[in-house]
Amino acid sequence: MLSRSAERLYWLARYLERTENIARLVSVHMNLLLDLPKGVEMGWRQLILINAAEKEFYEKNNIANERNLIGFLLADASYPGSLFSSLSAARENIRTSRELLPDEAWEQVNEMYLFAKNNLDTVADRRHRVIFLNEILKGCQRFTGLLSGYMSHNHPYRFIRLGGNIERADMTSRILDLASLLLSESRSNEMRQYETILWMNVLKSLNALLMYRQQMRSRVKGDDVLNFLLLDINLPRSVGYCIAEMYDCISKLPNNDQLLLKLIDLETYVQAIDIRQTTQVQLRSILDVIQNKLGGLHTQISDNWFLTASGE
Amino acid sequence: MKIWKNYKTETAYDELMHSEFQSRPVSHGLCQYLDSLKKEDIDKRKMAAELAIMEMGITFTVYSDEGNIDRAWPFDIIPRIIDAKEWRIIEKGLKQRLTALNCFISDVYSDQTFIKAGKMPSGIINSSKNFRKECIGMKPRYNVWANICGTDLVRDKDGIMYVLEDNLRVPSGVSYMLENRVITKRVFPELFQGIDILPIDDYPIHLHNMLSSIAPHQNGQVTCVVLTPGIYNSAYFEHAYLAQQMGSQLVEGKDLVVDEDNYVYMRTIEGLEKVDVIYRRIDDDFLDPEVFRKDSTLGVPGLMRAWKAGNVALANAPGAGVADDKVVYAYVPEMIRYYLNEEPILPNVPTYLCSKKEDLDYVLEHLAELVVKPANESGGYGMLVGPQATAKEVENFRQIIQKDPRNYIAQPTLAISTAPTLCKGKLEPRHIDLRPFILQGENTFVTAGGLTRVALKKGSLVVNSSQGGGSKDTWIINMEGS
Repeated sequence: MLSRSAERLYWLARYLERTENIARLVSVHMNLLLDLPKGVEMGWRQLILINAAEKEFYEKNNIANERNLIGFLLADASYPGSLFSSLSAARENIRTSRELLPDEAWEQVNEMYLFAKNNLDTVADRRHRVIFLNEILKGCQRFTGLLSGYMSHNHPYRFIRLGGNIERADMTSRILDLASLLLSESRSNEMRQYETILWMNVLKSLNALLMYRQQMRSRVKGDDVLNFLLLDINLPRSVGYCIAEMYDCISKLPNNDQLLLKLIDLETYVQAIDIRQTTQVQLRSILDVIQNKLGGLHTQISDNWFLTASGE
Repeated sequence: MKIWKNYKTETAYDELMHSEFQSRPVSHGLCQYLDSLKKEDIDKRKMAAELAIMEMGITFTVYSDEGNIDRAWPFDIIPRIIDAKEWRIIEKGLKQRLTALNCFISDVYSDQTFIKAGKMPSGIINSSKNFRKECIGMKPRYNVWANICGTDLVRDKDGIMYVLEDNLRVPSGVSYMLENRVITKRVFPELFQGIDILPIDDYPIHLHNMLSSIAPHQNGQVTCVVLTPGIYNSAYFEHAYLAQQMGSQLVEGKDLVVDEDNYVYMRTIEGLEKVDVIYRRIDDDFLDPEVFRKDSTLGVPGLMRAWKAGNVALANAPGAGVADDKVVYAYVPEMIRYYLNEEPILPNVPTYLCSKKEDLDYVLEHLAELVVKPANESGGYGMLVGPQATAKEVENFRQIIQKDPRNYIAQPTLAISTAPTLCKGKLEPRHIDLRPFILQGENTFVTAGGLTRVALKKGSLVVNSSQGGGSKDTWIINMEGS
C-alpha cells in the first residue's frame, strides 16, 4: 500500500469522524438548550470552547449567539474546523484514493457533500437544521457500515479505522473537558439543580446514554459517567475502547514497534486514572495529558508510514 | 409525437433516422420506445441521468483564466447505434491500422526502411516534435509501442466511416464510455431487455491483461500501476477510475523512485516495492526530468534509465507519439500496404500537407472551405474550420500557416454525421464522432463501440468536451436472429 494512500485514507477517516462529531454535538446541544433555563453556565458558547476555536470565532463575529455560532460551526467554509470544511476535506481525500475503496464509498461521500453544499443556507433555521444534521449523521453511518460490509479488512481499512479512532478519542476527551464544568466548586445553584440533565447530555453527545443505563444500572452521576466514558471496554466512544481499537489496527500493520510502545504507554496511563472525587482542576490536567499523548501518537503514525508529516 | 417534430436529416448522414418519419432498421427498437414516452417521461429520465452523474462524481476539468473548474460530464441520454455487422468490419480495420502503426514506430526507431524505400520523406520524422532520439534501438515487448490507442472516426455524408486521427500518446475518454453505459442502464433499463446490445464493461480486464502481458518478466505476480500527473489534470477522474477498476495502485511521480539498480519502486507503508508495468498518463515531455523537461515535477527521475534497461514496461512506450502526428497520419494507408501487404480497410480523410509546395498552394487558395489543424495539438485547440470562420480569422490563419507550414495540415470540411440529441425537450440532430479504444500487447482488443462525442451547439462540428461537447452511450446492436 502506498504511503500517500495510507495518509489520505487516515485523513479521510479523521475528517469524516469530525463531521459526524460536530453534527451530533450541535444536535444534542440544541436539544439541551431547549430544556435549560437561562442563567445556567451552559450555552452555545460551549460549542466553540470544545473545538478550541474561540479566537477564530471572535475574529469573525461579535457575539456568541445561536445564529453566529451555527453559521460558524456548520457552514463556514473558511473555518477549517467547521462541519462543511471537514466534509469537503474528507471528500477531497476520498477523491484521491478512490482506487482503494468500493465504488459506493466515493458516491456516498460525494452525495453527502452535495447535499450539504446545497443546503448550507438552511441551517440557520432550527427546524431545517434538525433535518440537515440528521441527514449528515445518517450519511456518516452509512459510510461506516458500507466499508465494514463491502471492504476487505486489510491495510487500507486499518488506516481508516486508525484515523477514525484517534479522532474519536480526541473528541471524547474534549467533551469531558466541557463536562469538567460540572465539577467546578463555584458552579451556580441553577447548575447544581440541573446536574442530572447535564450529565445525561454529556452521555448523549457520545451516543452513550442507553449503553450507560444498561451497564451501570444506576442513576446518572458524575463519577460514573466519567468512568464510563474514559474506561469502559465495550463502549465504542470511550477513550479506552478507542485505544484498544487502535492497538488492534497498529499491531497488524508493518513496522509498528515504536507505535505499540507509545500506545501501551497511553493505555497504562488511562487505565490508572482514578476518577473518584476528582476536582475540576485534576480532571482538566488528566485530559490535557491524554490529548497530548494522542497528539504524540499522531506524529508517530505520520513519521512511521506517511510521505509527509502533515495532513491535507 | 412531439419530440421528433421537424427533425431535419438533409444536411448530413443521420445515424438513427432515414428521415423525419423513418428510423433506420438498427434503431427501430429505440425509436419505437422513445415514441411511447411522454415528454415528461423524457424530462424525468434526463434529470435522473444528471443526478446520477453528480452523485457518481463524473467530472472533467476545464482550464480557464479563473483557475481549473470541475464540471459535470455533459451527457445526452439518447444512445447512438451501430449495426454489429458494420462494426465487425470497422473493428478489423482498427486492428489493421494499429498493427501497421506499431510496425512503423518500431521501424522509425530502428532501420527506417519505410523512409529508405522512399515511402516518406525523412524530414517529416526529423522535424517531428514527438520523435525521441533517446528511443532509438529500443525493442519493447512484441515490438508494440502504442499499447493503448484511441482512434477518432467520423462518418461523412456518403455514409462511409473515415479515420480522422490516431491518438497514440495518452488517449483519454474510455472511463466516460464505461460510465455512459452505467448511466444508460440506470435511466433506460427496459431497453436492455429486447435489444441485443454488446456489453462493454470488460474493458478494464482487457486493459489489465494487456498491461500484464508486457511486463519485463513473466514469472509470478506482476505489479501494474497507473501514473497520473495528479488531481489537477483534466483526466484525473479517468486515471482514478481505471486504477480502481483494475485493482491497481494510482501513483503520482513522487510515489515512485528509481534506485541505483535501475529498477522502479513505489514508496509503500512497508518500504520500497518493485513496479513492473506503468500505465503512464503523463506526456513524454514530463516523464523523466533526467532526459526530457528538466523542470518537470510530475515525472520520475531515472524512469527512462529503468525502461531502457528493460526493468520496467511503459505503456504507451516513450516515443510512440511519433506516429501521432497529423502529417504522419497521411502516410498510414501506405504503411498498411508496406508493412502488412494489405489494402486499408478504413479510409483516411484526404489530407493536404502544407509542407508540400503544391498542397500548400491549394490550401491557401481554398482556406475558406477547409479544416486546418496543427500537426501536434489535441483537444481541438488551434484549428480553423474554414466555412465557419470569419474573413479575419481566415486571414489570420493564412499568416500562421505560412510561418510554419510543416506544422499544419488541411482536410476538406466533412459533413460529419448527426444523431438525435435531446435539446430542450425536443430531439434535434447534432454532429457526432466516435472514439473506439484499441489495446495491443500479446493480443489485440477493440472496445465494442467506443466513446461517442457530440457537439451540443447547433451546427457545431467541434465535439471536444473542453469546447462545448458532450457524449452519448454507444450501442453495437446484433441484428442477426432478431
